[in-house]
Amino acid sequence: MGLFYTFHFYLFGVIAIISAVAFVTRRSPVAAALWLVNTMFCLAALYVMMDAQFIGAIQVLVYAGAIMVVFLFVVMLLNLGHASDVTDIVGGKTKLAAGLVGLLLLAEVFVLWKDDGAPAPVPAQQELEPGVIDQVAAPLFREYLLAFEITSVLLLAAIVGAVVLAKRRVT
Amino acid sequence: MIQEALFFSAVLFIIGVIGVLTRRNAIIIFMCVELMLNAVNLSFVALSRLYGIAGQVFVIFVMTVAAAEAAVGLAIIISIFRHHENVDLRNINLMRG
Amino acid sequence: MSRTYLPVLLLMGFVVFNAILMIGLSHLTMRSRPTPVKQSAYESGIPALGEARERFSVKFYMVAMLFIIFDIETVFLIPWGAYFRNLSCAVPLTNGLCPSGQVSMFGLVEMLVFMAILIVGLVYVWKKGALQWD
Repeated sequence: MGLFYTFHFYLFGVIAIISAVAFVTRRSPVAAALWLVNTMFCLAALYVMMDAQFIGAIQVLVYAGAIMVVFLFVVMLLNLGHASDVTDIVGGKTKLAAGLVGLLLLAEVFVLWKDDGAPAPVPAQQELEPGVIDQVAAPLFREYLLAFEITSVLLLAAIVGAVVLAKRRVT
Repeated sequence: MIQEALFFSAVLFIIGVIGVLTRRNAIIIFMCVELMLNAVNLSFVALSRLYGIAGQVFVIFVMTVAAAEAAVGLAIIISIFRHHENVDLRNINLMRG
Repeated sequence: MSRTYLPVLLLMGFVVFNAILMIGLSHLTMRSRPTPVKQSAYESGIPALGEARERFSVKFYMVAMLFIIFDIETVFLIPWGAYFRNLSCAVPLTNGLCPSGQVSMFGLVEMLVFMAILIVGLVYVWKKGALQWD
């Protein structure tokens, strides 16, 4: 991998992490949501750099384009956009506990980083279909056919659940 | 690049966990969960370079679940808001033992 | 492979640079002389009534929610459409064409089942009146 590639890989990764930190520390939900959108864009760039172009495209379309828009929508629907909610961040004891959990997880990452261990077994590269989308579509519609069909039941449940919960009562 | 991607994924996941633990606004907590799902997606894509394309198929399913979860979860937040006029998690303790 | 996406990267870099340049230059060169009229939301227009951050109706949420669900349906339709030629053939394609007599309904039927289940949801929403505006 060339230096150009490596540089941009790190660039997008670091921007993603900085945006995520900004996202967690903002008080205003609108600002937080926009920082999260930035993180998701950087992740889409990383997906494209790792030869998962279709995943990168639907990351932008679905996550940044649809899910985060609906989140922003609900923030405005409930009129929560003000940053005045001072009690939003929990008090000292819980914060300390959260910091400890974070340090613990971070330490674990660094231990795993240092520990090279046995190299991961690399199976023989499968015969890939030509074309970016075909690579994903072939297993999706053949091997994972059942999961694909069950997904529609999940979406049906989501539609029914959201309608029942959010609809005004007709009185 | 796989190692770096896994590192970024782990850091993003940790940020998500800390967010869930330290915030009280239900919508922000929800967004932190989305961040954690995204971090896991990143490691799926990274490992799919090593173990075949199935990881990318899984990412599509994770996105589907995230969308369904967002639809229902936000509906729950809306109905909580109708009750309490805010989304502070301290008010949501009806089922506390 | 990702080399083919270099133009996208260049475009992104150009957009970010351009945005920073424009906002930065206008900040550096502007002279601030505010008057109440200039500060109003619609200069020379009618005065604004109320706040911009007003709570709006839950009817909008129904539309947005249905949008994400059917957006996900599209995410499955795109790879299906791109791969449909292979799915509707019982044997691997030769030169991008299906040998005669080998056409199968597999791809069509699996997507019809998927869409039929989702259409049940659409009919439910419709009958429940969630798409009704009033």
